[in-house]
Amino acid sequence: MLIRSMIFKEWVKVRWFLLLYTLLAVLAVAYIFIRVRHDITFHEANNYWYFILFQGHSWFRLLRYIPLAGGLVLAVAQYFPETVNKRIKLTFHLPVEENRSLLMMMQFGTLCLLACFLLLFLLLCGLSRVWFPTEIIFSAVVSVTPWFLAGFAAYYLAALIILEPVWLRRILYLLVAAAFVPLYLTGSVPGGYGPAILALFLLTCLLSVALLFSGYRFRKGEM
Amino acid sequence: MLVAVMAAATALPQLYWMIFGKPVRTPFIMYSCVDDLFMIQRTGETMVREDTRGNQYTREEYEEKLPMLYMRQLMLSGTMMDTIRGIAIDAREVNNARSTFRYKPSDRYTPDPGLYPLFEAESGRANLEMPEDYFRITWRMEFTDAKTNKVDEEKSRLFSAALYHKGFQFPAVKIAGIPTTRKSCDEGYLVVDAAHQLFHVKMVRGKPYVRNVELPEGLRFEHIACVDFRDRLYYAYLIDKGGETWILTQDDYMLVKLPVGSFNPASEDMRIYGDFFNYNVIFNGDGFVRAVALDKDFNKIDEYGETWKIRMELPEGKAFTWLFPGTLKLESPNSNFLKFRVEVNPVARWIWLSLALAALHFLLLSRGKGYTLRKNLTGHLADLAIIVVSGIFGFLAVNIFPNRFFD
Repeated sequence: MLIRSMIFKEWVKVRWFLLLYTLLAVLAVAYIFIRVRHDITFHEANNYWYFILFQGHSWFRLLRYIPLAGGLVLAVAQYFPETVNKRIKLTFHLPVEENRSLLMMMQFGTLCLLACFLLLFLLLCGLSRVWFPTEIIFSAVVSVTPWFLAGFAAYYLAALIILEPVWLRRILYLLVAAAFVPLYLTGSVPGGYGPAILALFLLTCLLSVALLFSGYRFRKGEM
Repeated sequence: MLVAVMAAATALPQLYWMIFGKPVRTPFIMYSCVDDLFMIQRTGETMVREDTRGNQYTREEYEEKLPMLYMRQLMLSGTMMDTIRGIAIDAREVNNARSTFRYKPSDRYTPDPGLYPLFEAESGRANLEMPEDYFRITWRMEFTDAKTNKVDEEKSRLFSAALYHKGFQFPAVKIAGIPTTRKSCDEGYLVVDAAHQLFHVKMVRGKPYVRNVELPEGLRFEHIACVDFRDRLYYAYLIDKGGETWILTQDDYMLVKLPVGSFNPASEDMRIYGDFFNYNVIFNGDGFVRAVALDKDFNKIDEYGETWKIRMELPEGKAFTWLFPGTLKLESPNSNFLKFRVEVNPVARWIWLSLALAALHFLLLSRGKGYTLRKNLTGHLADLAIIVVSGIFGFLAVNIFPNRFFD
């Protein structure tokens, strides 16, 4: 019962941000395909395929920073209110193990992001089947996967930074994040990210527990 | 923690080289058909032009030694010779014989497009036209129409059958061609099948043309680069798994191995400049350049090479090996694929800095309140180990993410 009301609290915090973000992101995907349709009508499908296959044209490039923005928006919506007057300490006084409540918050956020990204991803793949063959779709999938992982990484790192009580550490974490997140967003030819995806996925999973650091420090009362 | 080590190992070396990196200036080497030796041009603070005997030249003299390369300039200045090696020079013939080719590792290490346009080789039109469909060779040769995004069953069956009858083993493992309309004519594709056989596939008046090329026993290709030169002597440069370079002659499908020695296609460049008298084959890798001159029958005439200190042997590289254990990067100049590449420095000088940093970290710890030596050692063993192994990166990471779970 307690867990359920905690989840409800998280939902109340993020719902409008999440819905608005999802709406905007879906519009962005829609715009991508309006653009594809337009370009195919104006340049002929065979020429458009040629740009993609041999000239490195990435028709999905608009998507690059969208998951990143999603991760940041969600992290701010979910964790920023907790830092106001250090409200998160209230959470830690609930009869739930502290790490567990933090993990629960993070799992909730992860699931929200996952649902939203899955929607975008399926929309992208599904619609691209109308105009593109598997080869083109596959290379697009390889290219956008790190961008979606970047969204998760940004969410975890932003949560870590927001919950961190000491300003100096916040800045240090920010530096680390600024050096780390670009690994997901390095420009490459379509499909070039293939060999790195598994490692990036594992790293993102590792990052998901980083939040516990800040929570730990917060409840220790470090300022 | 790992994330912080990785972030530091990516960002710091990048920053270091951004500040201290110097460009490597590779000398430009060309065989002179006038003097029968190699000419060298060095760029840098001052431009030096010389030959392998050490004679220095002015720009004009240098250009006169390489009349095939600078013909236009020489004609403009009126210094172009009429005969070379007793042969009257005809500008059109010289132009016809000229060819340039460059192989770089990222030509090989790049994602395959998977789909290719098959042009009509004898359309009767002067210009090539982009076909409406693209083909893939998986379990069969399949044409997909771009407008409808649907498979053209009839054409797919026709071409698959033609391949099958010539003994093609599906799927294709390598498809090489020149997929552009900006070429003089179409020669289709060179395709390597699952049994490492080489085929020439093109479309002639809508019908498949398939030719199985006889290969020497055991020959496997690393890379195939089709060419479109005016003299039409050969279809492609082929690089085998051993790094040897071959040509496939036009119409009679002879494989000829160029006597230029092997190179490493994963990390070295190869350039081939053909002219009226010679071929210049130039290999360029980390710290060396090697040029081989061939005659027009592909016999070796001469060879010349130079080496220089690689980056890590220069002062800024040495300083780098003192400071950092290595580099972590995603990108490589030799590949279009991204993956985590760990380059550990060739000399283990960084271990001293690592040990010093570990000692410093240890000292900082023991100055804290309520720490005893034993607590220090057992609680922070992991941190100290990280610093010893990853040096400055680990030191930064440990201090950004203190391992407080051990408190």
